[in-house]
Amino acid sequence: MPHVARAVEPIRIGLLEAKQGPIAEQSQYLQRGTFLAMEQMGNELLGRPAEIIWDDEPSAQAAGQNALQLIQQNKVVAMLGGALSNFALAEEAIAGQYKVPFLINNGAAEEITGTKCNPYTFRLQSPVPVQAAAMLPYLENIGKRWYFLSASYAYGQDIVNNFKSLLKGIGGTIVGDDQVPVGTSDYSAYILKIREAQPDLVIGGLTSGDLSSFLKQWKDFGMSGKIPFTEIGVGDPDLWAVGKDNIAGIYTTMWWYKDPNNSPADKAFAAAYEKKYNAPAADKAWMGWYSARIMFESINKANSTNPDAIVEALYNWSELDGGINVHFDRWDNQLIHRLLVVGIKKHIPNQWDYFDVLQSVPSNDAEAAVAFGTQAQSACHMTPL
Amino acid sequence: MWDMMLLQIGNGMALGFLYVLIALGLSIIFGLLGIVNFAHGVFFALGAYFSITLFGVMGWWGIPVAIALVGVIGMLTEVVLIRRLYDKDPLISLIVTFAFSLLAEAIIRTLWGPVGQPFDAPDALNGVLIWGPFVIATYRLAVMILVIVILAALWAFLQFTPFGRILRAGSRDPGMVGVLGINLPHVLTGTFGLGCVLAAIAGSLAAPLWSVTPSMGEAAIMPAFVIVTIGGLGSYVGAIVAGLLVGLVQSLAVQFVPEASTAAMYVLMALVLLVRPRGLFGERWERFE
Repeated sequence: MPHVARAVEPIRIGLLEAKQGPIAEQSQYLQRGTFLAMEQMGNELLGRPAEIIWDDEPSAQAAGQNALQLIQQNKVVAMLGGALSNFALAEEAIAGQYKVPFLINNGAAEEITGTKCNPYTFRLQSPVPVQAAAMLPYLENIGKRWYFLSASYAYGQDIVNNFKSLLKGIGGTIVGDDQVPVGTSDYSAYILKIREAQPDLVIGGLTSGDLSSFLKQWKDFGMSGKIPFTEIGVGDPDLWAVGKDNIAGIYTTMWWYKDPNNSPADKAFAAAYEKKYNAPAADKAWMGWYSARIMFESINKANSTNPDAIVEALYNWSELDGGINVHFDRWDNQLIHRLLVVGIKKHIPNQWDYFDVLQSVPSNDAEAAVAFGTQAQSACHMTPL
Repeated sequence: MWDMMLLQIGNGMALGFLYVLIALGLSIIFGLLGIVNFAHGVFFALGAYFSITLFGVMGWWGIPVAIALVGVIGMLTEVVLIRRLYDKDPLISLIVTFAFSLLAEAIIRTLWGPVGQPFDAPDALNGVLIWGPFVIATYRLAVMILVIVILAALWAFLQFTPFGRILRAGSRDPGMVGVLGINLPHVLTGTFGLGCVLAAIAGSLAAPLWSVTPSMGEAAIMPAFVIVTIGGLGSYVGAIVAGLLVGLVQSLAVQFVPEASTAAMYVLMALVLLVRPRGLFGERWERFE
């Protein structure tokens, strides 16, 4: 019988990031980081050629359909992505149903690793309660009359609910609470309402390009120096887009390219990114790169494309960073990682270098356990594999 | 409460004038060429991008150059692509221009990158003006005045110049205009360029207010279509009245039902179409019916 040579079938990884809409700009950074991680693996996994198949997230429903297509038609062994929480939730349901390991790299809504959790879906971004609690000490000092301006989707509402709960705990007052449709380009009417209400602080829950538009108009109405603005989980690209003369506020972010405490691997990534794209790496590029790196290393460690073996390898993946053991909690698949509370520099030197790192939280494993919560506190009821 | 309502009415008018400018180009292109130009948002975005880039090179003189450049690109687009769609079903023009908008957005993303471009209003236009219950950002007031001047100039151009008369006649009966020995293809190229120039002016004026990203045209195109539909396809006055109405309705919706502020303009459109299916100022056009 003659021997027939066959090309080795590549290992395919699905990537779900929006190519259109208000999150498309952040998505491009997430995508760049993901592809860079694959390049750094030599485009190989398990000693075989590997490729990333990038599909769109035009809406939550279409994101779920595209996840299904990646699984059924492209036969991907794992998926990365989830640029917006509502997209991630739709994709998570498909990943759980079809038992495909999925690491969400941007969605931060609590439900992802809470009520909607499943054993095949993991999450990189710190959930809203962790980020909100990290901000509280800074916000409490500013004042206790807060105005909420949030996008009317899962993540925005999560922000509002968590900050309202924190505000209640410190005996504060809700001065206003506006839910803004995603994709809103004009905020003048909202700004006039805030101006009239005269709160001590505005808590934002706006997404990506919407945040940039709001901050520009906030300055346009002369509000920048008058009422402080804050938001958690912002992306560097959104603030870079505002311009250094218009930017103000306190924010949380997962990573900052100039954080002196970045690990050697992070610094190497930042250098590789800057060399390739001739611009500093945004936090979103790092989030794409880091989640892809975790997934790729776990697939190699599993030494198999079997989904249960990859999930087990993800559970066993860990590294030391910033004084804490970075790993996934087994009861909700949430990555335990530090985040940064950042303020805007008084004198911004260039179009990229905006932040002063005010604090890195949590700073040790004990604090991390408190910040991310225990199994008993989790809303996730994980089913067995 | 009444003070807040008056405040929002004033703000809605200011917002409406920007919408008018975005929608007017779309309305002119549809009214005179019969093309449903889904790529209108791209010319809006190009207006913002070229303005920012040329401002960096030439200062404020770069803004009119940027707008003219978008007009030239618009005319080239008409010659290469749009011209082939005149005798086709309007649905074909919608699909082709939508595909063109995706391509153009990808080109913008490649040339300028995914990061939004910062751009500030002139220092002299920073701050707000307060007059009784009305509060308006100085820059928005300047935009409003500029748009009124542009609308008046455009009206005079269409009413009193030979080119304007040819445009209006060509929109109703292109065959007759051709029989009279007028080179209609050149007129149509100029008309498409004019529509693109209006979109570019709107993009340039919006750049200090809106997030300048490759997808910024998407945020402009839907209100523009709604305004053109409410005002009546191809109606100059209709686009102005509908733009102001949409701005007004959106501002008041933010005051009372903020989560429905985007939906409010669609509700307005539905109500208008129920009463006047051709829009507020829409007429019966033989070419399209």
